[in-house]
Amino acid sequence: MTDSILEVRDIHTFIGQFHILEGVSVSVPVGSITVLLGRNGAGKTTTLRSIMGLTPPARGQILFDGKNIAGKHPHAIAQLGIGYVPEHRAIFRELTVHENLRIAERKRGDLARKADFIFELFPDLKRLIDLPGGNLSGGQQQMLAVARALVPDNRLLLIDEPSEGLAPVIIEQLMAAISRLAESSSVLLVEQNFRVASRLAQQYVIIEEGQSPAAGKIDALVQDAALVQRYLGVA
Amino acid sequence: MARTNRSSLIAILVIIGGLIAVAFVNSNSLGNFGITLLSGLFQGMLLFLVASGLSIVFGLMDVLNFAQGAYFMVGAYVAYDAQHAGGLIDLTQAIPDPNLRFPVAVILAVIVGALLGVILERGLLRPLYARPVFQLVLTFGVALVMAEIIKFIWTTTPYSWTEVFGVRESFFELFGQRFSTYRLFVVGMGIVLIILIALLLRRSRIGIIIRAGVEDREMVQSLGINVQTVFTLVFTLGCAIAALGGAVAAPFLGASTTIGDIFLLQAIAVVVLGGMGSYEGTAIGSVMVGLAVAVAQDAAIGTSFAALPSITPMLLLILVLLLRPSGLFGNAR
Amino acid sequence: MAVTPRKTGWLQGNGWLLVLLALLILFPFIVGALTDSSPYGVARGDRMIMRGESVRWQSVLIEVYILAILTMSYNLLFGFTGVISFGHALFFGTASYLFGLALEFTEMDTGLAIVVGAVAAIVVCGLLGLLIGLVTLRLKGVYFAIFTLAVAEMFFIFLGRWQLTRAEDGFAITDLPAWLDPTQSRLSFYYLALVLAVLTFLFIRRLVNSPTGAVFQAIRENEDRAQSLGYNTLNYKLFSIVIAGMLAGVAGLLQVMLNKKVGPELLSVGYTVDPLLMTIIGGVGTLGGPIIGAAGLHLLDVFFRDRELVLGSMTIDIANIWALLLGVIFILAVIVFPYGVIGTWRRWQARALRKR
Ligand SMILES: Nc1ncnc2c1ncn2[C@@H]1O[C@H](COP(=O)(O)OP(=O)(O)O)[C@@H](O)[C@H]1O
Ligand SMILES: [Mg+2]
Repeated sequence: MTDSILEVRDIHTFIGQFHILEGVSVSVPVGSITVLLGRNGAGKTTTLRSIMGLTPPARGQILFDGKNIAGKHPHAIAQLGIGYVPEHRAIFRELTVHENLRIAERKRGDLARKADFIFELFPDLKRLIDLPGGNLSGGQQQMLAVARALVPDNRLLLIDEPSEGLAPVIIEQLMAAISRLAESSSVLLVEQNFRVASRLAQQYVIIEEGQSPAAGKIDALVQDAALVQRYLGVA
Repeated sequence: MARTNRSSLIAILVIIGGLIAVAFVNSNSLGNFGITLLSGLFQGMLLFLVASGLSIVFGLMDVLNFAQGAYFMVGAYVAYDAQHAGGLIDLTQAIPDPNLRFPVAVILAVIVGALLGVILERGLLRPLYARPVFQLVLTFGVALVMAEIIKFIWTTTPYSWTEVFGVRESFFELFGQRFSTYRLFVVGMGIVLIILIALLLRRSRIGIIIRAGVEDREMVQSLGINVQTVFTLVFTLGCAIAALGGAVAAPFLGASTTIGDIFLLQAIAVVVLGGMGSYEGTAIGSVMVGLAVAVAQDAAIGTSFAALPSITPMLLLILVLLLRPSGLFGNAR
Repeated sequence: MAVTPRKTGWLQGNGWLLVLLALLILFPFIVGALTDSSPYGVARGDRMIMRGESVRWQSVLIEVYILAILTMSYNLLFGFTGVISFGHALFFGTASYLFGLALEFTEMDTGLAIVVGAVAAIVVCGLLGLLIGLVTLRLKGVYFAIFTLAVAEMFFIFLGRWQLTRAEDGFAITDLPAWLDPTQSRLSFYYLALVLAVLTFLFIRRLVNSPTGAVFQAIRENEDRAQSLGYNTLNYKLFSIVIAGMLAGVAGLLQVMLNKKVGPELLSVGYTVDPLLMTIIGGVGTLGGPIIGAAGLHLLDVFFRDRELVLGSMTIDIANIWALLLGVIFILAVIVFPYGVIGTWRRWQARALRKR
């Protein structure tokens, strides 16, 4: 337990009067990738948003480094060292690539220190540096979104469906990058593509109807066709 | 903003070109034409001072600050009061030279505007971010209260500026006409401000945050930036600039309880026709509406269309919205 | 906020309402009896002079009914559909002018002019709402608010300078039949205003509880959701604004008849602020809220208008600071009292129930 960087304990989240999360628990061990699996509308995005404080949970605990962060403002949560890559490539379309990266600085000089690392992972971005984000292709936007989370020193990255709607080649490149990230920080990933997810992650948590009925080592899940069939509908 | 639509550029050129052509045809001499042009730019710059805050605050915070006109009015009253003998603030003893007193009066007005801005944002708006419709209603109420408080302090009788000071009284000659140096000074100041704000938005970190916040406030927060602080800053700046507008307008327009409403309505027309939340749109829209009003004022002289200048901004607004429903640079959905 | 159907008789369900209605019907006579004055006024020769306490109080309540109709129409749009207008005075004033123009500036005989004027006024109000809605309702909500404000102010400025209708002075209505003329027969006008207010209330209640009303409220809660459920929300919003515009027009007609005068002040921002304020104070999106708000604020206004506040050596004329007081109440209501009288009462009740 003590080597978990993130411990989500039985959180309940409401959006308006809708009870969306009805007891979700997630544990992310230090220095590894944990994937949230589940059907569309199960509550994966809401789990990440609850951790970020964007939809604060009404009940339950979120321990980051052992300290409860539930109820803090999103900016305060981010400053603890959590980077968020939302679904649908939420980059700033009107800002240039450079501005998109610069706005993510938490300390002066963050970008300068990380630039080499970022451009090594995503060489395309260097070429596009002065283009507005809106002019990038889907894959380039997704890379920018991930790159943006790498600018400050984050110890945990929350990444929501990075492969959605992208070509297989691009997915390969992104996944390679994400597995390299896990060398320096822990990752909580949402990924619909079970094949991709199972290659990348070490742990899984199933999200189903606002709850987390199953969790464990990804290897065990790959063996257990029945479980996969039951929660994910794929074999 | 980088991808300016071709059709909106054409619309802008046609409207501004048309206005200038009408002004030219309508005036019999180059001198008269120059006067109309200067008057249009003067009004356009005053409008910009109200509209820029309105537009940026709306873009960033989704709050349409209906009290913006009231801040303009407060600026006018404070500057008037500080410049003239008597009243709440009497600086005639401390600074006998009226030329020196005027900048102090303007700065005082800006400070009061900024203070009232902080109070409104921190004290009243902040609790309501979850209920945007009520924010709209609230600023509407604040505008009413500010007008009433001003009536209470300074009565309802309009003040016309009587203090004589250098810039205001000086003229220069061109094409056989006398032009007011003060108007030229306000136009110059407006242009400098337009450029300064543009630089702030383009180059500084806070500018990048503001532009990013206009697009996606939540994402900005998720990057570890406290948007609340940015909100307060931007809102306060908007109010201070509006007060600056009132202060520099006062030597020509005096101070009255309706001055804010007039500018607010015109500024709203500017912001909407420029495209809400678009800085370029606001700057261009201000000039456009200012020119249109000046042309209409000329055209209305000696005719029975006395109301023409006051409804011109609305007519222009309706025209633009019919052509481009979300304004010249806007994305309204 | 869902309306739960209750299986009680109509009479039982409307008990309070009927008692209130009976009181209001009898009101001129009750006041008359209490103050020993005639609800018909004072006879002088073969004419009735409109004097006395009963007649005076009838005027006060007529004003309440007019404001209540205006506020109910505002609440239909703002409270039930979630569309905010800052130019409701536009409908109120436009109806007044059209009615006044028909009566005073056409050759029609009085009866015809009244019918034509009233029908034209209400139809035009509906069309005006439709037009403004078509231009703006597709966009974000503020566009509608701004546009209504702009159009209302434009008409206000224009009418203030239009020589035909005597610019700022406005013009008087001279040509009303006795039963419609409050200066000749206050009592019949009292009942007319009461009937129209009650009809407006019943109509809005019916509408709000209908499937259409349910969609209105769905739009208020979350327009995108309502749209994704397959409703054409634009059409529903247009419907709401047309109805609201027409009802505000009805209030405008009554106002003209009551004061027998038409002027640009009927389009002033005051006639937008009043219903807005009364809606918020009474309770946004409740059926009774607008009535409580209109009655409460107007009666307070009447009561305080000519009083003085003595603070030590200072005497403050309340009339002078009334607008300021209203503004402060406005702000407080928005911030600390956001559910209005009715909403707060319901919450309080719900809490008491939970404790039991
Ligand atoms: N703003 C909202 N209002 C109402 N329901 C919502 C809202 N956002 C999400 N939901 C609901 O919450 C559930 C979980 O959504 P989400 O977390 O996005 O699922 P996932 O990411 O697993 O696909 C869904 O049923 C969705 O319909
Ligand atoms: Mg999702």
